[in-house]
Amino acid sequence: MTLPTTSMPALPKPKPTLAGVLRTLLVKFLFGFGLLIVLIALWQFGTSTWKSLFFPPPSTIWDSILKTFFSGEPDTLFLTKAMTVDVASSLGRLLVGFVLGSIVGVLIGTAIGRSMALREVTDPIVEFLRSIPATATLPLFIILLGGDDGMRVAFIAYAVMWFVLINTAAGVSAIHPTVIDVGRAFRIPRWKVLLRMVIPAAMPTIFAGLRIGATVSLLAAVVSELMLATNGIGYRLVLAQTGFRMAELWAWIILLAIIGFLINTLMEVLERRLLGWHRLARVTG
Amino acid sequence: MTDTTTKTTILEVTDVSHTYGSGDTAYRAIDHLSFAIREGELGAIVGPSGAGKTTLLRILAGLLIPTEGSVSLLGKKVVGVPEGMAMVFQDYSRSLLPWLRIDKNVMFPLDQKSGSKEERAKLVAEALHAVGLDGHEHKYPWQLSGGMQQRVAIARALAYRPRLLLMDEPFASVDAQTRAGLEDLVLRIRDEYNMTILFVTHDIDESVYLADRVLVMSRPPATLAEDVTVDLPSPRDQISTREHPEFVAIRGHVARMIHGEDH
Repeated sequence: MTLPTTSMPALPKPKPTLAGVLRTLLVKFLFGFGLLIVLIALWQFGTSTWKSLFFPPPSTIWDSILKTFFSGEPDTLFLTKAMTVDVASSLGRLLVGFVLGSIVGVLIGTAIGRSMALREVTDPIVEFLRSIPATATLPLFIILLGGDDGMRVAFIAYAVMWFVLINTAAGVSAIHPTVIDVGRAFRIPRWKVLLRMVIPAAMPTIFAGLRIGATVSLLAAVVSELMLATNGIGYRLVLAQTGFRMAELWAWIILLAIIGFLINTLMEVLERRLLGWHRLARVTG
Repeated sequence: MTDTTTKTTILEVTDVSHTYGSGDTAYRAIDHLSFAIREGELGAIVGPSGAGKTTLLRILAGLLIPTEGSVSLLGKKVVGVPEGMAMVFQDYSRSLLPWLRIDKNVMFPLDQKSGSKEERAKLVAEALHAVGLDGHEHKYPWQLSGGMQQRVAIARALAYRPRLLLMDEPFASVDAQTRAGLEDLVLRIRDEYNMTILFVTHDIDESVYLADRVLVMSRPPATLAEDVTVDLPSPRDQISTREHPEFVAIRGHVARMIHGEDH
């Protein structure tokens, strides 16, 4: 007996190729940076015509960038201590804080998302606590945990956790009951239902939380270094400010913009890799 | 029940009732329902919409514990999801995992089962072959049409090697052409695997075409209105079976029972 075998037309492969990613980035660059280049040119023209103490021309900032970040010894690839010590420790704390906050957020969020009772009990608490701007809790973190790296990592993790937690809870609770029924009907162990059915099914929503969390982790890392720090990007921002080195202050701000952009791009690439099925399933479904 | 064969009883439903809620808002979905399914039988449960068909199937599957009565599978009382039972859900787009390829979807419930990796891979390949999906192993569910996705769900249930296969309105969301193909697929795998199947549908034609026995449910609180034996020649055929006077007679009889005496 023959059965009708009608399949959907061939689809592009879910994994993006390197050339595809590069092309996307190039188009993005032209569209996203065209206006930026014009604005920088205007800034250069304006600030060199009307001199301002607070707004040095881009060429001066560029010199400061080279001096601050890339005037080091050859054995550190010309990177300065600002890069090898301050940027590196900020990024290290950011990474650890982000990972910890994400894990805790996914764990608590999954528990809340799976249990209607837990959701009802925790909802007011979650709504209350997440309404407190995380940055405002830094003094409390300092009093409770002191001024070292552990405090800063905990602070970053705390700030990141809320976004991951809330998105995970929303994604997990929105899973269709059929998915759970399939797990039960085939006697699939509870841990496997959770790890290999519930969390992957909620992954598109969880990932949206992770992306916000990644941006927040940079913000929290810098804020945490504004007080009691001995290194880090935030610490160097304060040093430049108190020493009134305007060009260097701008150099750090621009470096932060670049780091933020790279983090977001990295998360976007990760999302495409991990959730290719979701994007394509939506297009064809 | 008129069946007098000595075949093993696979499923026995004894005086099952189910009430949702309690007090003033209590809703009695099923009322004192009893029947049995023997090895190799294909039973169809048919009833008006809202007759508690899904409630009954969830009880049989062990997903819901009835408020009264008992269900036993292979002589063992069902208190949770029993071993030896597989289910095909109506909503194939939700029952398959969209991030896994077809072969991995079929393999997914087998991980807990005994046997080597090679044996399990063989079960998967056999099941996909049985439903006519050779060559589609490495596609994702959403790359297939609705009918093909439901065949993946059937393959997943087959590879699981159940003693009883439950099907919950499996073809309710596919077009008529695809549906006919899937019905014949059910009949074929039933012969090939000597599978015992309980098929829930709201489609009277489908129930009579597929089943050896049609279990007609009444309006809620649902009870067994009649246990109709379908004695149509085998193999069944989409055109000639449906023209058979016996088919037409049973179809009319069941329809009158379901839609009431006003027809």
